[in-house]
Amino acid sequence: MHLTALAVSTQLARLNWIDILVIAIYFAIVVFIGFYLRGSSNTSEEFFMAGREMTAWIAGLSFVSANLGSLELMGWAGSAYQYGILAMHWYWIGAIPAMLFLGIVMMPFYYISKTHSVPGYLKLRYGDGARALSAVSFAFMTILMSGINMYSMAIVMKVVLGWDLNFSIWVSSVTVAVYVALGGLKSAIYNEILQFILIWTGALLVPILGLIEVGGWSNLRQQIATNLGRSDYVHLWSTLGHFTDNPMGVNWFGIVFGLGFVVSFGYWTTDFLVVQRILSADSIRSARMAPVIGAAFKMAVPFIVILPGLIALSVLPFHLVAQDVAVQTGQHSFNEVLPLMLVRYCGPGLLGMGVTALIAGFMSGMAGNVSAFSTVWTYDIYGAFLNKKATDKHYVAMGRWSTLIGVLVSVGTAYLVQHAASIMDYVQQLFSFFIAPLFGTVILGMLWKRATKEAGFWGLLAGTVTSIGLWLWVRNDPSALRYVAMSPNAKDMAENIYRALWAWIVCVLVTVVVSYMTQPRPVAELEGLVYGASVLPQEHDDHWYQRPIVWAGIVAVIFIFLNVAFW
Amino acid sequence: MRESFSIWWFAGILLLAYGVVIFATGIWELSHPLLNPPVLNNLHAPIWWGALLAVAGLGYTIGFRPRQAVHKRRK
Repeated sequence: MHLTALAVSTQLARLNWIDILVIAIYFAIVVFIGFYLRGSSNTSEEFFMAGREMTAWIAGLSFVSANLGSLELMGWAGSAYQYGILAMHWYWIGAIPAMLFLGIVMMPFYYISKTHSVPGYLKLRYGDGARALSAVSFAFMTILMSGINMYSMAIVMKVVLGWDLNFSIWVSSVTVAVYVALGGLKSAIYNEILQFILIWTGALLVPILGLIEVGGWSNLRQQIATNLGRSDYVHLWSTLGHFTDNPMGVNWFGIVFGLGFVVSFGYWTTDFLVVQRILSADSIRSARMAPVIGAAFKMAVPFIVILPGLIALSVLPFHLVAQDVAVQTGQHSFNEVLPLMLVRYCGPGLLGMGVTALIAGFMSGMAGNVSAFSTVWTYDIYGAFLNKKATDKHYVAMGRWSTLIGVLVSVGTAYLVQHAASIMDYVQQLFSFFIAPLFGTVILGMLWKRATKEAGFWGLLAGTVTSIGLWLWVRNDPSALRYVAMSPNAKDMAENIYRALWAWIVCVLVTVVVSYMTQPRPVAELEGLVYGASVLPQEHDDHWYQRPIVWAGIVAVIFIFLNVAFW
Repeated sequence: MRESFSIWWFAGILLLAYGVVIFATGIWELSHPLLNPPVLNNLHAPIWWGALLAVAGLGYTIGFRPRQAVHKRRK
């Protein structure tokens, strides 16, 4: 989202006292939950892992909710307006297979290793080198992303409601800091459940009323084709034959292997922000079911994010423009499409709920970031390298302080971005630098006994350096796009996808080569960490339909059906 | 400490509060029409949406009331 584009736009709506009441009720409940749960976060296991007593439903919904931040909501609604239904790929092939794979294949290893974090798993599997590299990069990028999310939310509140930037930033961030520092991960998870429900109840009316206004899905498709003079905005796969055949400038190979495999698996199976929610599950069965439940709900999210963007293509009486154009002309940019649609259909009260949904999206994303940061900082940086022998009480105190400091650094980042908008685009790409190679390192560590300690570190480093190097290459020489993204016609999305694919390939190749050059660990040491060297605990379900694999199969069938239906 | 308040009870309270407020707003608008009504205002979305939220909220508030949460250890 381009910040200055939003900043120059005019205010869209004015809240009345009913809307303020709706927002105030939300803030009162989330703060109350923080105070209510402060007594149940006294040990590190309680503070960082929520006592590992979350049910499959709670862990699964918070798993999805932590991902459903304000950038996610408004950014992808804007992308749907800009690129059409292709944006749906980031919710379906770009999420569902990876989430099911996490639940069915990877979760048992994360869970039985009793690790507190993804860097913690790397420590068990590869040693301190890989752990330190992934922990430092994750902590650094997570806190920066949190600040960027914060500023995005504040700037939208300014555009939609005319709220002062400082007011939005400080009120929302202090609220998140209070409830996470008091109640730890459990408080974050409880609030994420509420935020997930709020996002749905606040945003669901837009697609419902929108579809009524346009006369249903078939009419919507026809109207979009008529308004734009092209039909490629409403097809999911049939326009992906070549980079030039679709508005996103991407092809099927990049979507399937770059997005569907590397980017998606990297994010959903190794990004600790989301994986932490699953690690809080009360049993291995819950830990396996949670991503499956999350996948079912993730599949439905396009209804409140992508569909409003498509409906806007049909019903808005004016055109939204690219970010740089919006800066110059004062028009509305793509990223304002969701607030615009809220204002279109929602009167007093409902508008307050819609705005609360946007705030809730921001807060769930930020709470996810700071709770994950706090855990990685305390366990994998402070406790692992700076102070190894402190008491459990000391680590809990460090967790609370690092939560507060993480929020403060995020606020600082938000102000930094305010003065250097381009940082925002860069940091989002930087975040992807670490995720793709991390997936290569983790998946080889879990599935291949031969992978060695040295290989884990050098593979991860080589993949990360490759990703950053490719990004710099294209920045300095745009013609390099023909090599990085396999086509001179590729656009930004395609470049990101292919860069991740290259980074993953380099990581895997280096890991394999270095593994064969170095001494492997004895198989006995890999018990509980690697497939083929571990005896997984038997799960006893009373009925066949209670098995996670059965529900994963049902979700997979629906996933395939949806992709064919919108082909 | 084992919490006596289930997260689903909190969700019920939130939905119930919102449902009541939105429904009441919709009823009020019947006799006090908005100066700048939103698109499809004739469908009276606040009334049926508010009622739906209130019913769902009431169900969760009763179904997961604290006493039951303690016995069943639901969260």
